[in-house]
Amino acid sequence: MTLTTAPAPARTAAPPESRRERRRRERLAARDAEIPVKLYGLRRGTVGLLTALAFLFALFTLIPIAWIVINSTKTQANIFESFGFWFARPFQFFHTFGLLFQNVDGYGTFIQWFGNTALYAALGGGGATALSALAGYGLARFRFRGARFAFYLIIASLLIPITALAIPLYLTYAKAHLINSLWGMVLPSMVSPIGVYLMRTYADLSVPRDLIDAARIDGAGETRIFLRVALPLMVPGLLTVLLINVVTVWNNYFLPLLIFNVNTKYPLTVGLGLWSGRLANSGDANLYPMLVMGGLVTIIPLIALFLILQRYWRGGILLGSIAN
Amino acid sequence: MRSSWLHRRDRRGVWFVAPFLLGFLLFMVVPLGYAVYTSLYTYKIIGGTSFTGASNYTQTLESWTFWSGVVRVVVFGAIQIPVMLAIAFFFACVFDLGVAKYGTFFRTVFFIPFAVPAVVGAVMWSFLLEPQFGPFTRLANALGFANTDFFGPTLLLPVIIVIVIWEWTGYNMMILYTALKSVPRDMVEAAIIDGAPLWRIILRIKLPMVRPAIVMLIFLNTVGALQLFTEPQILESFQQGAVSLNYTPSYYIWNTAIAADQTNLAAAMAVILAVIIVGVSAVSLLARGGGSRRATAKGASLSRAVNRDFSRGGRPPVPRCGPAARATRKADPMARTDVASGPRPRSCPPAIPVHTRRRELA
Repeated sequence: MTLTTAPAPARTAAPPESRRERRRRERLAARDAEIPVKLYGLRRGTVGLLTALAFLFALFTLIPIAWIVINSTKTQANIFESFGFWFARPFQFFHTFGLLFQNVDGYGTFIQWFGNTALYAALGGGGATALSALAGYGLARFRFRGARFAFYLIIASLLIPITALAIPLYLTYAKAHLINSLWGMVLPSMVSPIGVYLMRTYADLSVPRDLIDAARIDGAGETRIFLRVALPLMVPGLLTVLLINVVTVWNNYFLPLLIFNVNTKYPLTVGLGLWSGRLANSGDANLYPMLVMGGLVTIIPLIALFLILQRYWRGGILLGSIAN
Repeated sequence: MRSSWLHRRDRRGVWFVAPFLLGFLLFMVVPLGYAVYTSLYTYKIIGGTSFTGASNYTQTLESWTFWSGVVRVVVFGAIQIPVMLAIAFFFACVFDLGVAKYGTFFRTVFFIPFAVPAVVGAVMWSFLLEPQFGPFTRLANALGFANTDFFGPTLLLPVIIVIVIWEWTGYNMMILYTALKSVPRDMVEAAIIDGAPLWRIILRIKLPMVRPAIVMLIFLNTVGALQLFTEPQILESFQQGAVSLNYTPSYYIWNTAIAADQTNLAAAMAVILAVIIVGVSAVSLLARGGGSRRATAKGASLSRAVNRDFSRGGRPPVPRCGPAARATRKADPMARTDVASGPRPRSCPPAIPVHTRRRELA
């Protein structure tokens, strides 16, 4: 039933491995772990056929991305009139990019939304990871009255849909004068039941009880044990939870749509939603190119983050336990 | 029982969990409670707010406008989730077995849409499918489907299904891929030695082993599907009038709360939607509980299930144990004496029949 992979191997005293050596070792290990394809006794051409199918699905995945990259260089007229999957003169990329820094048409400034999103994602995602690490460690390594109840409560809260929660939050904020408040966005984002669940699983796998006991015998306080002993061991899990939480906040649309009603507070998603709502009525000929460019600039940081950190999510350390 | 002085400190664990529980209380429990409270009142321009009990609930429950949205998201989920999980499982198997080239590259590409916010995904697809100028509309027209309107009443739901499949297949595939990685290698090797074709290895070994993961994904995707909001809302802004105000329950609630400013009614709807979703999730989680009970028996029955299938090739029944089996083994070491056919002496452990597991699933 356990689908999680084993915890990271303990650090040994061996000389530090260079990144290249590590990659090579991992590649060889991965090769050895796989059963050679020829053993499956496949008909000729099967591998080619399956690769072709994967290629087709990759094409489906990349078509919108290719479209948005190509069309970020076009004028409004060309977005509609020229062939969608090739470039057309005039090349307007930098002009449109410059417009993202201005408040065109009075609907709000893209770069401000970008800053808001980064702030909300950093505070909300970082806070969610911190709270998850604390709670996950507490639930995995302490037995106290109510621990079991707290854990079941957290599991049960996974069932509560975000949408059904956003409306009540909005109503509460309206009463508590928290509409348009930064904290109205950040604090609920910090409550991540899935993060707690994942960190509990990971702490359970990666922090040995004996190590904690040894630290206690040495006289370390609980805070110190958590920060100096447990936390370093939980880093790979923390990064995965951080990634999931940052993406969740970055992509969140429904909650900010409800709780913000001035465009200086909007995150990217709500801002772009506002623009697409104004397309038909806008007198400004730049709104379509700006929407395309805005979409592109919104997705680039996250795709970059994923490619940089792909070791963590591709290793699937925690994705496995989501499915568990 | 560990009762050393070390563990007297266990109560301190409360302090680690407390910050999260405080947030949980303030931002989940309190708002839900307040929503229930609000839903019992009604605001009228003349007379102000007054207690009306369950009237908001009866109004919602009797309103076909609300239920038609619920029916729509159920239809949406019933099509989108199986299609997406089939694609995700297919590619997860292909990459796990390594039977396609450039697996690492494809896995990375497939996962990219997870990093794209639903708003941007919907905007990109809206541009591609836009009824006058969209490249796909032009393509459809060029192929002879004149006047194709992807935002029209017939194609709107399929279009949303395609968009959501585009967004989530990679993520589901990654989870299934990780789950597949934990299938013991020797089990697959044994099946290969037995000469099982690849598709049988996938359906008989891999699929049962990742069944808990699949049930979990069905649950997560169902909760997601019932809350469908972003895609219809963005599509509506591209083609005004394409999406009705009650297209999905979430969209209807949003319109009721913001556009119509009937917050009390919206609160009642939100509570009803939450109850529906929690109910549906509970059902799928109960099914999952059954799955985990089965899991212990699964390992034992699995190899039998595989072998049982092979025995259908007109092979004569082979005794499983006892003197006859020993004789058979001596004569032909490759003969399978563990097949659940033929006479079973009292000393043989009972095989777990395959059909039992199937019935439990249903």
